[in-house]
This record gives sequence, structure tokens and C-alpha cells, in this order.
Amino acid sequence: MNSIFSDPGFWHRLQFGFTITYHYLFPQLTMGLAWFIVYWKWRALRTGDEKYNQAVRFWAKIFGLNFAVGVVTGIPMEFQFGTNWAGFSKYAGGVIGQTLAMEGMFAFFLESAFVGALIWGEKRLSPRAHFAAAIAVAVGSWISGYFILVTNSFMQHPVGYQIEPNGSLGIASMTAYLLNPWAFVQFAHNQFAAVVTGSFVVAAIGAFYALRGVHPVQAKLYLRAGTLVGLIASLLVAFPTGDQQAKIVGNHQPITLAAMEGKFEGGSMAGVALIGQPNVAAQRLDNPIEVPGALSFLAYGHFGSFVHGLNDFPKDQWPDNLELLYYSFHIMITLGTLFIGLMGFATFQNWRGRLESSRLLLWVLMLAFPYPYIATTLGWMTAELGRQPWLIYGLFHTRDGYSKVVSNGDAIFTLIGFTGLYFVIGLLFLGLTGREIGKGPNEPAVAAIIPEREGVLV
Amino acid sequence: MIAIWYAVVSFTLIIYIVLDGRNFGAGMLQWFVAKTAEERRQVIAAIGPLWTWHEVWLLGFGGTLIAIFPRLMASAFAGYYLALFLILWCLILRGISIEVGGHINDRLWQGYWNFNFVLSNFLLAILFGAAAGNVARGVPIDAQGNFSMAFFTDFNVRGHVGLLDWYTVSIAILATVMLAAHGATYLTLKTEGPVHDRCQKYAKYLWTACVPLLLVILVESRIVRPDLPGRAMSNPFLWLGLAVIVVSIITLVSGLTSHRELRAFIGSDFLIAGLLATGAAAIFPIMLYSTLAPENSFTAYAVAVSPGTLRIATIWWPVGFALAVFYFVFISRRYAGKVSVQRDTQGFY
Repeated sequence: MNSIFSDPGFWHRLQFGFTITYHYLFPQLTMGLAWFIVYWKWRALRTGDEKYNQAVRFWAKIFGLNFAVGVVTGIPMEFQFGTNWAGFSKYAGGVIGQTLAMEGMFAFFLESAFVGALIWGEKRLSPRAHFAAAIAVAVGSWISGYFILVTNSFMQHPVGYQIEPNGSLGIASMTAYLLNPWAFVQFAHNQFAAVVTGSFVVAAIGAFYALRGVHPVQAKLYLRAGTLVGLIASLLVAFPTGDQQAKIVGNHQPITLAAMEGKFEGGSMAGVALIGQPNVAAQRLDNPIEVPGALSFLAYGHFGSFVHGLNDFPKDQWPDNLELLYYSFHIMITLGTLFIGLMGFATFQNWRGRLESSRLLLWVLMLAFPYPYIATTLGWMTAELGRQPWLIYGLFHTRDGYSKVVSNGDAIFTLIGFTGLYFVIGLLFLGLTGREIGKGPNEPAVAAIIPEREGVLV
Repeated sequence: MIAIWYAVVSFTLIIYIVLDGRNFGAGMLQWFVAKTAEERRQVIAAIGPLWTWHEVWLLGFGGTLIAIFPRLMASAFAGYYLALFLILWCLILRGISIEVGGHINDRLWQGYWNFNFVLSNFLLAILFGAAAGNVARGVPIDAQGNFSMAFFTDFNVRGHVGLLDWYTVSIAILATVMLAAHGATYLTLKTEGPVHDRCQKYAKYLWTACVPLLLVILVESRIVRPDLPGRAMSNPFLWLGLAVIVVSIITLVSGLTSHRELRAFIGSDFLIAGLLATGAAAIFPIMLYSTLAPENSFTAYAVAVSPGTLRIATIWWPVGFALAVFYFVFISRRYAGKVSVQRDTQGFY
């Protein structure tokens, strides 16, 4: 009876991993899309061209659906710190609680107060106020992202803390905690990835309309913005942010780097595996095709730099799911490289004026939108699997973090509940989003039956 | 310092209950006060654009609780595991039914989501009421500072208690009736036409029903927690809370009888806030009472973070709150006024 399934830690990790992965499908689009909406609203203000307002209206609807699902799936996240990770909250709540609370106070309040004004406010607000609401929502969503990444960066690379007399953690320096160098790198990497997701979705819908031959003006707008922004953001995700992310992992978590690359033996001129399957039992990479020296160069700046292998470290410090970590990292890198190629080619074709006429490329753009979601999910899996067996790197083990009073039965019950509920939400979301996309952007301005202004408070 | 933070954390929870309580109430009443499909959409429109803003106050509360009282948050949330997930799922169901119901203009579709909307709001009022009852009664905290609760055990209020017993059930009933009354008062203010007229009647009946229920709870609380009154009498916040209750009852009653809807609603807001504040003041400094042994109880002093960390929170929290007040003014001005039964175009709500 001593299998992985009798280990409560497995179920708590699975539930948190599942709910956070699902939740993050929605904010990654809103964080990226928000700036497209700001840009189009700004263009509408400057040029007075109705096509930009149409784009804002259409994308605000898509944004609204994503935002709503993001809110309802986000609320359980904060509560799971207590319900499922009571050990962690008791130990580190004094530190991570600060940013979790700040996220609520500084980001969620801002976003939720103005999102209604963005989605339903066009008729009732002046164009400038509507523009301001779009900015407020975009800024709010990025602030939210920063606080969450500070929290996560503390788990990756704890700084600014002190150990209190009762053995738990408290803040020693709020500045050090909030300005964690890990958080800067991770925030930049993550936010540009969110822009990649946004631009792939924008381009995909543009391609869909172009292929069907409907809404030609809007299709052109989406394709141009989506491919150009997609190219820039894909480049920024790889360099400098992805590069810096790898370096910071190499410097602070050398075991993680070795595991991500499936490197069992250390050495100089360490290579990057393009293909290969980690074989943990035999402690080698099967069928490897490597670029020699590349890992040494990428992680430490010289081809001759020494890169540690897993065997340089005790086995109990190895990440506990090496294979999944290795694949997550490699598939993410591969996808990121393909994104640059695809968006680079599409931007080039657009520059030549041939984007709307090359149907094959439009098909690829239309079908490519799920891949940034996959890449960001794999990126987060790399970060979180790579951190194991630690919950707070070097300080606190994952196995000490979960709630000891919660039985496996309770944990599996809620996991089943979330699976069912989120499956239904997923169907609803896809169905309704599909409907909106089908209806297209040429609808008249949305005016809900929200109350008239009469100047009475409340 | 810790007393102030206890007040702040209670305050954020009170704001949440007052703000989202109107949605629970309006949601529960949707079946009874709105008869046609249009009227039902009208009820949803009265709360529609604001529900996320109200709901994030729960996150404001949760975040502040982890930041200031992490040990309480960890033990309590893990102990209330299943009940808390039921609340979270009902919140998800409620939000989804508001958002997706209006997307498709079809009788079956909207009827189905209206059903989910009413059901989830009922459950939320009951669950939050039972949760309040649990905080008042106490939970079975052991010597290690942990507890884990079943939904019900023997329906008794001592020893190994469950989530539901005669005391917490009666508080859940009070909460449901009172939040329904709150919602009716809100809908009277926010709607016109038949829904408005029905809500006006419902508000009067429901608020009247609260009076005997409150008296019963008062007597029950005396039995369940005989230790409370002595300590609480010396707490100035208790007297402040009682004063708020008295003034808001006068405001509410005069507003209801003279059909001054805004006055009645303000009275309703402050009455609920006053009751919760009085309760919070009455149990201080014990945040969670142990039904097994009083010395296992969590006091605010024992579960708070260190003074240094508290000082840091004291710097940023007021800034965040001031911003929230600013948004509140913006929202209140923007969504002021009544919701009519006609929809101008195909809006979401």
C-alpha cells in the first residue's frame, strides 16, 4: 500500500497543478490581449476610424469571457494556499501573504472595477474615459502578474526573509523581496509569452476571417497586428528574457539546469540535446543528437564553461520527475523557436503584401493558436517541476507543505469536483467564444441594460 | 497593533458580505420577485456589471488574512476543507450562470442558468451563515493547533462538533433570511416596474422575520458561549457596533415605511455590517475557539505575523484601501440609477 497514490502530497500537487494550469489559460490571453485593445482604442481616438472601434468592441467581448472564467477559476487558487498547503502557509505566510494580499488590493480591485466599463461602457463613457478604462484593466492585469511572480520567485529563489523566533518566515526587507532579481527575469519572460499568446489568437481569428472571405477590413487589421507583435514578442521571449532565465537557473539551481537538459555527467563543452530521451535508470540520454558546447555557452557565457551534471549532486536533491521536466523544457524551446520562424515568415509576407493571398500560411496561422498555450504551460511546468523537491528552494520541502489534516479522500473528492466543473466551464467557454467569433466584429455597439446615470450614489 | 489588524481583517470580510450579500439576496429572490424572462434578466442586470467587483473583496479578505494571520488561515482553511470548496464551487457556479446566461437568447438556456443562479445563491447564503456560526461556536482544535471537521456529527455544540448543528443551522437560517431581505431592499432601489413592487413587499416581510430569529440567536449564543458576555462588555468596538445597529435599524425602518429606497438600503448595509462587527468584537481576542479545550483556542496575538512584518503591511495596506475607495466612488457614480425591464440592444445582461 505504499504507492504514489497513497501519498497525500501527490494528490495535493495534482490538484494545485491542475487548477493553476487551467486557470492560467485565461489570464495569459487577457494579459496579452489587453494591450491590443488599448492600442486599437488609441488608434480610434487618434484617427476616428470606425474600424478600430469595431475591433475594440469585438475583442472586448472575447476579453470579457476570458476575464470572467479567469476570475471564477482564480478565486480557488488563493484559498488553496490554506486548504491544501497549510504547512506552507504556516511556514511562509508571513512573506508570501504580503504579495497575495497586495495582488488583491492593488490589482484585482483595479481590474474588476474597470472591466465592466471597458466591456459595456462604450456608449456611456466618453471615448477618452473608455480608453482610460482599457488602460486600467491592462495595467491591473500586469500588476497582478507581477505580484504572483514575486510570490513564485520567492519559492524559486528566496530573498528578503528572516526566520522568526517561532520558526516561521517573516519579511526582513520588503524591497529585497519585491525586487527579487529572479522576479524581474521571470516577469519579463512570462509577460512577453502572454503577448505571444494574445498575438497568435488575434492572428488566428484574422486568418479565419480572411480564409472565409468575411470581414476583410477587420481580418487585415488582426493579421497585421497579430503577426508583427507576435514576431517581436516571440523574439523577446527567447532573447533576452529566456536566455536570462536559463542563466539565472544555471546560477541558482544548477541541479535543475542539469535535469532540464537530462545531463547526468558534468563537464565542459556541455551540449544541448535537440532530441533524446532521458533514461534515469541507466543515467543517460538515449538516442541523443547534441549541439556540443551550446549549454556551456548559453548558461555561463563560454563554450568551455563547466556545467554540473546530476551525478554531482545527492540523489535526494534531484527534481522528482526528471523525465517530465526534461520534455517540458525541450518542447517549450522547440515551440518557441517555431513561433519566431512562423511569425517572422508571416511578417515578411505581409511586408511584401502577400499575406492575405497565401492561403497555406493563413491556414497555418489559424491552426497555430493552441501552441502558445502549450508552450506557456510547459514553461510553468519547467519552473515548478525544476524547483522540486523544494517548495521554497533550499529552505522548505514540498512534502512538508501540504495540509496534514486533509485526508486523501477529501483531496480526491475535490479534485474530482474541479475536474467535472472545469470540464463544463471549458465546454461553455469554447461554445460561447465560438459563437462570438462566428457572429464576428460587425455587430453594433453593445449597450447592456445597465442603469442610466442619475447622480445618486450606490 | 494586532487589535487594529484584527479589526481591519474583520472589516474586509464585512465589506465583502455587505457587497456580495446583496447579490446572494437578489439571486435567491429572483424566482419569487421576477415572473417573466425579461424580469429575470432585469434582476441579473441589477447586479450584473458589478459582481466581479464584489467578489474580489473575498480575495481582499483572504489575502489580508494570509498576510496578517497566516497560522489561523492555514489551520482554519484546512480544517474547513470540504465546506470551503463547496463555497468556492458555488461561487464559480454563480459567476458562470450570470455570465453565460445572457449570451444566448433562448428560453430553455436562460431558464437553466437562472435555476443555477438561484440555487447557488441560496447555498452561498446558507454556507456563509453556517461558517459564521462555526466561528461563533468554535471548532474542535486539538493541542497541536489542528482541526478537521465533518459536515455533521451529533448536532451538538460541544466536543467533536461538525459543521452543522442546531446552533450553526439556526445562524444559517438567519443569514439566509437576512441576506434575502438585504437583496430585496437592494432590488427595490435598483429596479422599477413589477419587480420593484414585489421587492418592496418582500423586504418588509423578510426584515420582520429577522426580528424573532435574531432574538432566538441571541438566547442561543448565551447558551453556546457563556464565556463571551463578560469579556465583550469592556470592548469599545462592541458598543460602537451596537450603536451602529440601533441607528441603522431606525434608518432601515423609516426608509421602508416611507418608501425612501436609498435610505432603507443604507440602513440595510449598515445593519448587516453592525451585526457582524458586534460579533467580531464579541469574540476578540479569540479568533477561533476550541470546543475541545479552551486553551487550544487561537487568539489573534498567537497567530499573527511578527511585529516587523505587521509594520510593513501597515504601510502598503492603507494605500491599497484608499485606491479601492476611489474605485468605489467611480463605480457608484457610473452604475447609479434604476434598471428597467426593457433591454435597448442585445447586451450581455
